[in-house]
Amino acid sequence: MCCNSAVIIPRPDPCFSFLPTRPDIIPFPASVSFRIRTVFHHGPSKSIPNDTVQFSGSDPATLYDLLGIPKTGTLLEIKQAYKQLARKYHPDVSPLDRVEEYTKMFIRVQEAYETLSDPRRRALYDRDMAKGIHLAFSARRFFEFDEQMEDKSEWKSRWQSQLSHLKKRSMYKDSGDNMSWGAKMRRQRNESS
Amino acid sequence: MAAPGLAIRVNYPTLQYLTAQKFNYGGRKLFFVKASAGSTEAEEANIIVRKEKYGWQPDFSGGMRPTPILDTINYPVHMKNLSVKELEKLAAELRAEIVHTVSKTGGHLSSSLGVVELTVALHQVFSAPEDKIIWDVGHQAYGHKILTGRRSKMHTIRKTSGLAGFPKREESVYDAFGAGHSSTSISAGLGMAVARDLLGKDNSVVSVIGDGAMTAGQAYEALNNAGFLDTNLIVVLNDNRQVSLPTATLDGPATPVGALSRALSKLQASPKFRQLREAAKGITKQIGPQAHEVAAKFDEYARGMISSSGSTFFEELGLYYIGPVDGHNIDDLVTIFQKVKTMPAPGPVLIHIITEKGKGYPPAEAAADRMHGVVKFDPKTGKQMKAKTPTLMYTQYFAESLIKEAEADNRIVAIHAAMGGGTGLNYFQKRFPERCFDVGIAEQHAVTFAAGLATEGLKPFCAIYSSFLQRGYDQVVHDVDLQKLPVRFAMDRAGLVGADGPTHCGAFDVAYMACLPNMIVMAPSDEAELMHMVATAAAIDDRPSCFRFPRGNGVGAVLPPDYKGTPLEIGKGRILREGNRVAILGFGSVVQQCLGAAEMLKSHNILPTIADARFCKPLDADLIRRLAKEHEILITVEEGSIGGFGSHISHFLTLHGILDGPLKLRSMVLPDRYIDQGAPQDQIEEAGLSSRHICATVLSLLGTPKEVVNFV
Repeated sequence: MCCNSAVIIPRPDPCFSFLPTRPDIIPFPASVSFRIRTVFHHGPSKSIPNDTVQFSGSDPATLYDLLGIPKTGTLLEIKQAYKQLARKYHPDVSPLDRVEEYTKMFIRVQEAYETLSDPRRRALYDRDMAKGIHLAFSARRFFEFDEQMEDKSEWKSRWQSQLSHLKKRSMYKDSGDNMSWGAKMRRQRNESS
Repeated sequence: MAAPGLAIRVNYPTLQYLTAQKFNYGGRKLFFVKASAGSTEAEEANIIVRKEKYGWQPDFSGGMRPTPILDTINYPVHMKNLSVKELEKLAAELRAEIVHTVSKTGGHLSSSLGVVELTVALHQVFSAPEDKIIWDVGHQAYGHKILTGRRSKMHTIRKTSGLAGFPKREESVYDAFGAGHSSTSISAGLGMAVARDLLGKDNSVVSVIGDGAMTAGQAYEALNNAGFLDTNLIVVLNDNRQVSLPTATLDGPATPVGALSRALSKLQASPKFRQLREAAKGITKQIGPQAHEVAAKFDEYARGMISSSGSTFFEELGLYYIGPVDGHNIDDLVTIFQKVKTMPAPGPVLIHIITEKGKGYPPAEAAADRMHGVVKFDPKTGKQMKAKTPTLMYTQYFAESLIKEAEADNRIVAIHAAMGGGTGLNYFQKRFPERCFDVGIAEQHAVTFAAGLATEGLKPFCAIYSSFLQRGYDQVVHDVDLQKLPVRFAMDRAGLVGADGPTHCGAFDVAYMACLPNMIVMAPSDEAELMHMVATAAAIDDRPSCFRFPRGNGVGAVLPPDYKGTPLEIGKGRILREGNRVAILGFGSVVQQCLGAAEMLKSHNILPTIADARFCKPLDADLIRRLAKEHEILITVEEGSIGGFGSHISHFLTLHGILDGPLKLRSMVLPDRYIDQGAPQDQIEEAGLSSRHICATVLSLLGTPKEVVNFV
């Protein structure tokens, strides 16, 4: 699961939901901004949260529709649907004149699979769907917000352990064999005081 | 200039119950509430702060309400006895104070809002001014200024003779280091820490730096040195993921630039770390107490192995990484600072805090650019009161004409250093997204990067502020000029810049560019000339060139059709007004002041010739010779320091023997001191380059000193 390494945009502005999931898709920053710009050139106004890139045929309303499975689909069904669609839309096997479309579709299918195959994320998505928020392809948006809350409690325990480690370390830091400039000055000061 | 209704503040600590009656903006009767430890929930309904889910939130829907706790704080020492709850309330009051102050004066808003909790925590734990707190860039230091004895003067911030918009050592002993350009705080802090060690003192040194400033090389140079020296230093990395300024493109928030931001954001999500540390602790317990070296080594190794890649980076540099920490939680911040302060030998420590720019003020949180830099606005809605001007800013004319040039020539690319909005290249980016490069706060890299582009036949335009280009000067000399690569420099904010003050003043660019052998140096006198110079620069393909233009709006010149300029003849100026006896030769937008002086002199029956030099290098030799021959007096005017246009003219005249003759030459330049911030007109007056000063110079040279008195 590569969610932890996503480029996190803190603002809950829907029009920035369409960003590539994984940083390693992006070769270097210049092309990141290029991708964002193309979305805006083609897409309609900012109020529409969903992915606005047009594909032939209608936009699927939910991730389940995209994969073609019922809402109660099991993990196995999700996997099968994903494999099937991935094989169909992979850029290497797509027909030459529709490579762009198919690649975009492939990315969406992949995002859908990632969201639905992770039980926690699927639960969050189902909950949002029930609330009527159809954020089909802005998985990162709600995921990231929730993760922030969880992370903060983890952050606290993490820095507490960091602090205790630093304290321990600072006890023996200025022992005789530490030859750094700062250690020498500290020893000098301690001796003179 | 004073905000209406601002009562006179007494500067000694007052009893709490005396302060509530003072701030009744709009004459509203508000219930007085003592913000003491015993206040109940019922009373809370009336005060300005409400305890919300994430802490105290100030209420901006009314006018400015009483700030009971903040009123008792004149200096940080008054904060020492506050409890955490009171500190949180203080933070909310401080937020309200910042919003209301900036709403009346304009300035930088959201940066200060994001660090309110950090400011309060730092001043609570550390004892400024003995303990040094250094703010990088400094535009987030409004809260710091309020807490350190300048609250009553905040309505003068960024104004003539008022507070500076950035920390300034001359202003207050609490401002440990002057700032304005970024990424200098760690270097300065390290210097102070080393000096402290050599002098045998034991105060703390804290450098606060943002994630945007971390994209500059100097920050890493400093971290590298700090890790090596191993002296006690605290670096607070304030990460709000806003790397470029203003923090938005035309379409919305700017995504953070570069791989560093990605690494920093990875740091914030690494749950595995804790689990593995717990496991490691268990193992070391089993080894036994006598093996603490083994355990320590294992711990270091484990930290490196399992902590997210970004923190290893800091650790490898030699800094102890603590974080990420919620930057809006005062309790956490105070705990951490307290612990680190009291440790015997922490060495250099980097505390990574996560904040949100503009936090606590909903209109700022919602705005695309987070209301980074604002003019006067309405605190209730956040709507700015931007004056309508008949002409656009020079920056916009530059951007438009560059876009036109780029449409005609697809080899034109644009580079800026994290200033998409300030340089106008956000417009260029929108139009040509793959031809616009934001390199982060890295002017040195920007210049050499442009040089690399130029070697391959592209036409790079480097749009960097005049004062920021100072940072990349060696690259201009060594990488661009020495190799005669056709890089074009568009130096915005040349000359005096108004409210930002001397740190942003572009006084030296004529001097440092015109002394380079291969550089062509131009300056437009109005916006139409600017467009022609953009076209000229695009056409100069065999050597580097630059043009400088000021902050401010155009003068209303007739623009070329469709915003497309035509290349000027290189090294040719123009005469704007024909006259006799006196010639005034201006370089750049100051020509407008010369024209104003000509109007004033009419009433004295003096008709000066006004010429626009356009080029400082190569000089228009024919024009200068002609002016020298046909006039008794030649005055050169430029909005730059000594060593620029005026010096080049005098050097030319001496070389050609013209100064052996009867000509009287005077050069009007910026004075040999730094001009403080203020309104643009005030600064020009202070510098002695306004129309009336030019007038006075002419009259004094013509031998009519009595009339000079009228103008001075």
